[in-house]
Amino acid sequence: MVLNLATENRKTEISSKDGDFDIEVKIPNYIIDTLKSRESHMCVSGKSDSIPDCDKNSAPGMITQRSCVYGGARVVLMPITDAIHLVHGPIGCAACTWDIRGSTSSGDKLYKTGFSTDLREKDVVFGGENKLYESILELNRLYTPSAIFVYSTCVVGLIGDDIKAVCKKAQEITGCRVIPVQSEGFKSFNKSAGHKLACDAMIDYLIGTKEPEEVHPYSINIIGEFNVAGDLFGIIPLYEKMGVKVQTAITGDSTVEKIAKCHHAKLNIVQCQKSSNYLASKMEEKYQIPTIKVNFFGVEETTKSLRAVSEFFGDEEMIKRTEELINSEIKNLRDEIAKYKKDLSGKTVAIYSGAHKSWALVSAFSELDMEIIMSGTQNGKPEDYQKIREHVCEGTLIVDDANSMELAKLLKEYKPDILISGAKEKYISLKCGVPHCDFNHDRITAFSGYNGFINFARVVHTAVMTPVWRLSKKMT
Amino acid sequence: MSNLNVINKNRTAVINPLVTCQPLGAMFAVSGIKRGLPLVHGSQGCSTFVRYGFARHFREPADIAVTSLHEDAAVFGGRKNLISGIGNLAARFKPDVMGVVTTCSSEIIGDDVGGFIKMAKDEIVKKMGVTAAEKIKIVQINTPSFVEQHYKGYDNAIKAIVDTLAEPKDEQNEKINIVPGIVNPGDIREIKHLLSLMKTEGIMLTDTSDPFDSPLRPSKAEKNPYYQKGGTPLEEIKDSANSLGTISLCSYANTGAQSLERKYKIPSKVGGTPIGVQNTDEFVRTVKKFTGNEVSDDLLDERGLLIDAMADLSSRYLFGRKVAIYGDPALTAGLARFVTELGMIPSVVCVGVKNPEFVKEMEKVAKESEDDVDVLLGQDLRALDVYIKENPVDIMIGNSDGRLMAKDHKIPLYRVGYPVYDRVGTARRPIVGYNGGLNLIDGITNTILDKYYEVQDWKLQQ
Repeated sequence: MVLNLATENRKTEISSKDGDFDIEVKIPNYIIDTLKSRESHMCVSGKSDSIPDCDKNSAPGMITQRSCVYGGARVVLMPITDAIHLVHGPIGCAACTWDIRGSTSSGDKLYKTGFSTDLREKDVVFGGENKLYESILELNRLYTPSAIFVYSTCVVGLIGDDIKAVCKKAQEITGCRVIPVQSEGFKSFNKSAGHKLACDAMIDYLIGTKEPEEVHPYSINIIGEFNVAGDLFGIIPLYEKMGVKVQTAITGDSTVEKIAKCHHAKLNIVQCQKSSNYLASKMEEKYQIPTIKVNFFGVEETTKSLRAVSEFFGDEEMIKRTEELINSEIKNLRDEIAKYKKDLSGKTVAIYSGAHKSWALVSAFSELDMEIIMSGTQNGKPEDYQKIREHVCEGTLIVDDANSMELAKLLKEYKPDILISGAKEKYISLKCGVPHCDFNHDRITAFSGYNGFINFARVVHTAVMTPVWRLSKKMT
Repeated sequence: MSNLNVINKNRTAVINPLVTCQPLGAMFAVSGIKRGLPLVHGSQGCSTFVRYGFARHFREPADIAVTSLHEDAAVFGGRKNLISGIGNLAARFKPDVMGVVTTCSSEIIGDDVGGFIKMAKDEIVKKMGVTAAEKIKIVQINTPSFVEQHYKGYDNAIKAIVDTLAEPKDEQNEKINIVPGIVNPGDIREIKHLLSLMKTEGIMLTDTSDPFDSPLRPSKAEKNPYYQKGGTPLEEIKDSANSLGTISLCSYANTGAQSLERKYKIPSKVGGTPIGVQNTDEFVRTVKKFTGNEVSDDLLDERGLLIDAMADLSSRYLFGRKVAIYGDPALTAGLARFVTELGMIPSVVCVGVKNPEFVKEMEKVAKESEDDVDVLLGQDLRALDVYIKENPVDIMIGNSDGRLMAKDHKIPLYRVGYPVYDRVGTARRPIVGYNGGLNLIDGITNTILDKYYEVQDWKLQQ
């Protein structure tokens, strides 16, 4: 089914779909009523070659779903399990972001601890450098961590603390790696600037600082995989069965030492291309490690991602093993999925998530026979929207930086059968009567790889089929 | 005779914070106004992470706008962002009340927020006309993040709201103002229930119960933008200048009540949060004093039900058990007093603030307790962790942030306060009032039973 927004078809489609509930849907000439300056941030794929306006400041006062640069840096580095993540700023920056990422660990739990220098009025006036220095020494004494990442916040940028100098001095005294991350929250409207800063911190201070004892001939790094809900635990065994050694994931379930030694890997594969393409290209430049872009959401994409690696190494044995592995993995998968597909077939999906997921999920949904009618992201750049255009059907609505009011309007207008997003949008969606599937930091089910896809199909099925939606529609 | 030992922080860094920054408290307070919207003057993260936290705790959407300050604002000031932010919010959302909440960045760059609000008002008049513009009230709330904690931000917001909006009339309104503190929807509903049993009308300053626990009822009439049901209407906030009295149910938010007292001669009283028998009794007595209304039989029955449950359970399962309590200072003081009423020992109470009122409340608890009470003042969860390692307790009572620590020490945790994101229903179930006492005693006892009594022996435990 292709939504053609300009014709009368839509009215009948929606009427028949929703039975007696709210059939009076006005067909809009434009996409939805919004601020004039926001109109160009939405477009329908296929209507012209254009992509939505993007990578611009959010309109102040509209309820943006965006986060800050500090948040962007933090989400990339936080999954490093044996490091201290010290937030240099007022207490709120640490308190509100401590342990919000559902990245799991097979070992250390230190990354789940919240550390703050708790800047006070006095520090704002006289500077917080001494306090930062004291804090680093103290934390090193208490925890003897593998590294201390120091994140600067808005306040630090404004009062001008030289965190690089403090980190350098503290590193000399403690002997522990102390790594500055210059992530002032207001640096950019796009939190991707924070992702880049985090990657820079790893390139400048971590990667290549320790030599591995031995280098496996088929070793790879998985970049941009943060092990949310244990995603990695569904991916690593697949590669190991192929005979590929995963040196480290950056940064899911990783340790400081593993990342320090990762520069001899033969190949980097990049999962979240939004946050981590930059790191991969930097490593290509510095260590001549080639890069392959992968995607572990969906059967087809996972299969492609496994094959890409075996083809890269070109080892006949490995290629054979990989094909066998793929065959054995997907043998029972189709039956498993078929039972969900029966109910989900023909249902419509809206995605509003990180830029990577806004197109990386398209294939996964088509395997469930579901159709994307809307895809959007908070921090998309032109290349991200190009990617979306390449992946979705004609007639799909593409939205940039939708605020909460627009989201609510879009959901009510287009009535997708499910919205895929994070927690902030979750309850807007539910209040609009649209089922929801969490695909963000705090999801609790692993969605990557073959088994992950079964989980994903089940979670989507559960969200769409739960009887509450029948009940809520009965009485208005 | 028992003692209160106050143990202050002796560390520079904060490890696993128990508090967050001022703006969060202000955003919470403004969210309790009907068609009220907070506008945070700061970076996008300042609103995003709070919205995320509220969504995680209340399982409801939280609409909080932000002026999206960026580097240019840090250099040239945030005037442009604030004025267009107020303009956009007014034009698209038409709120009754807009609370402009400052942050560390806007405070440090020294934005003249009051002046910018005036300019923004002129703009709104030009674009929307005088009548439409006058319907939108703008409250300026200064909450520098590097001063005190979110409790102070809540207090600042309540004071700014009544200072800006309260309007005296010639006649009294026979109502009582209540400042509930940072509590859950269930708690506010329970306070309203207690007032109704006292045949008293209250003005909640502010009422976050419905906005953070709203029905899912799609209807054709529903307009955009979507406002959650409920909240204190602007008319009632205006009318708070004509009430019989103001009761603050938390020691950290009384400046709004004091301001009403100073300006409009409305008597104010800071009470302990009505958790447990004595604190709820005190609340009821205060209402009686202000209104002259009698205590009804229904209310006495509710009190009797709580006492009955205490008689059933306290000596059998709870007496002599050591408790660690942490979190919101007003809640922890109330909880400490309640567990003392149950015969339990509040061995350690840990708060992130240094509030003299709180220490006074805890002195009272220590006097009533048979054992020494240790207060970790202005501390964090790491301090409690270290303390418990040396001085084990039988049960912990506090928010979800202590869950890993509880697991490490194998001490059961009963979840109350903010934030609770790994259990459901905490926001709906009250812990205040006599009904809240019932929830607490059931919850605490079941948590104890789970850990300390073998299931197969349950008959022996009758």
